[in-house]
Amino acid sequence: MTEPLVSIRNLKLDAATSRGTAHILRGVDLDIGRGRIVGVVGESGSGKSSLASCLLGLLAANVRVLDGSIKFDGVDLLSLGEGQMQAIRGTRVAMIFQDPMTALNPLFTIGTHLIDVIRRRSPKVARRDALARAEEMLRTVGIADAALRLKAYPHQLSGGMRQRVMIAMALLAGPELLLADEPTTALDATVEAQIVSLLQALRRNISGSIAFISHHLGLIAELCDDLCVMYGGMVVETGPVADVLGKPMHPYTSALLACEIGDDREGRLVSIPGEVPDPISETQACMFAPRCAHAIERCRGEVPRMRTAADGRKVACHRFEELA
Amino acid sequence: MTDAPLIAFDRVSVVFDGEVRALDDVSLTIAKGEISGLVGESGSGKTTLCRVLVGLTPATSGSVAIDGRSVSDHLAIDALAFRRKVQMLLQDAVASLSPRMTIRRSLGEPILIHRLASAESWKRLDGILKRLGLPEDLLGKYPHQISGGQARRVGVARALVMQPELIVADEPTAGLDVSVQGELLNLLLDLQREFGLTYLLVSHNLNLIRRVTSRTLVMYLGQIVEDAETRQLFRRPAHPYSAALLSTNPAVDPRHRRSRIVLQGEIPSVVAPPSGCRFHTRCPLAAERCRTEPPDLVEIEPGRRARCHFPFSLAAAGAAA
Repeated sequence: MTEPLVSIRNLKLDAATSRGTAHILRGVDLDIGRGRIVGVVGESGSGKSSLASCLLGLLAANVRVLDGSIKFDGVDLLSLGEGQMQAIRGTRVAMIFQDPMTALNPLFTIGTHLIDVIRRRSPKVARRDALARAEEMLRTVGIADAALRLKAYPHQLSGGMRQRVMIAMALLAGPELLLADEPTTALDATVEAQIVSLLQALRRNISGSIAFISHHLGLIAELCDDLCVMYGGMVVETGPVADVLGKPMHPYTSALLACEIGDDREGRLVSIPGEVPDPISETQACMFAPRCAHAIERCRGEVPRMRTAADGRKVACHRFEELA
Repeated sequence: MTDAPLIAFDRVSVVFDGEVRALDDVSLTIAKGEISGLVGESGSGKTTLCRVLVGLTPATSGSVAIDGRSVSDHLAIDALAFRRKVQMLLQDAVASLSPRMTIRRSLGEPILIHRLASAESWKRLDGILKRLGLPEDLLGKYPHQISGGQARRVGVARALVMQPELIVADEPTAGLDVSVQGELLNLLLDLQREFGLTYLLVSHNLNLIRRVTSRTLVMYLGQIVEDAETRQLFRRPAHPYSAALLSTNPAVDPRHRRSRIVLQGEIPSVVAPPSGCRFHTRCPLAAERCRTEPPDLVEIEPGRRARCHFPFSLAAAGAAA
């Protein structure tokens, strides 16, 4: 086994809010393998977007890191200064944001956006060469009339086209780690299908790893190699996507899968009783215990650690062996 | 289907600023007690259709009747009675609650406006809140202190206290976590059975539409392109746009995956819709006739209408791929 590209251990994040201290991440353990596409799934407040911000070193002003480490290719990102982090951001780690409408600068042309990325990697490249590369990349991501589009401003492009530009920028950066935070959520269904097909086709062009954040299990099942299930600021289960979805080990993963609306029209729809945990609440037990059908006394008193289950799978549940 | 329909749209168009045709020649009927779904992408006219139905946007031409009487007559004769009869669940549940009012005041406001018997209405409201699983102390809170799921249920309670006959729900599960959406849908279904309510559900969630509705209307660029029994539609879509839209639905189970039909381009503008069939610019099977001659919404088999010169052709092509 080679070293994973990213190795997150016991990552804890707190945020100061008007209601008190919110525990955004409560000790996250996660590995992202080299060249793998990892789907990160979780409900609102599970901490999936904060995890991405942490990997980019872009945390909101009210958020602070309490504990833990993020090893990226052997270097702890949390130990780096802002200058060192900036050298990594946008070159070795890049991000596709959720909303392509606001992620591009309205004052600059698409060409300028793309050339900026190219120049960041290779500052000495001539403008003409950079433009040629940019144009080729626009074609790769399926934009017609690429030469014309280079001169366009963001407002002249549709949402789907802007998301393609974002993907082109990410590909030009050639990052080792690409973070995609719900990259298709703001798009219409048929345009979403175009972007998903594009990402599937581009897999060959991306040598690095991708963390694909989504609340859409179907999308993750089709696109990803590995799955990471988050709940209440913790990772509860990880493993190869087909294995985890085929035979979930954590009760939350099972419950989440059961909530997917299936083909059958009979019977009642399934939900998980109760509400997602309040981020203000303290971490002193399994975060899922209040809603778990299998919770016992121990689950309410002791935080479960991530334990190796089998074949590259890890589960944070006191009872996964007996529940299997 | 001998009963007169509860809702009847007859050639309804809505034109904004003289050039934006948000709805174009929409005709449909919905029977009492039916659960219908409305699907289509942004800009297809779903929300405008809902707003016309509840009387918030007047039709530029054509007529909309509920219970055999036009919406404008309903509003002229007894607007309050009409608004009790037809309730809308708004897409953004949190924004639909005033931030300056406690939940108790927000829930009580319609009772005051409609001059309902206070004690009796609050008793009914208490019963509804219990069924929705909303805690007692919620009433004293403000919208920012409650979760999105709770706000959604407060919206449902506020609609139900009016004892409506028709509920128009615009994306009822938008912003809800998957773990709680089932509970809300079960409740809506229970209420439908109990009181014979009629629903029009707008949703992007195709799994939800398939599971909950008995009939589905598919919209594209302000027009209905297909109107079919939900089961039939999902089994074998007639319109190429329906076929493409349904194929975009990713499945968790690999055995249920469809081969995805990826359309070229994006939705054209309603200000300058394409000539001929509005879908021809993106249709993989568009022929010369489609570019020039607009198809009508016609019955292509019993209980199913489609607006296409060549119905069922893309579904067959998709299955072969």
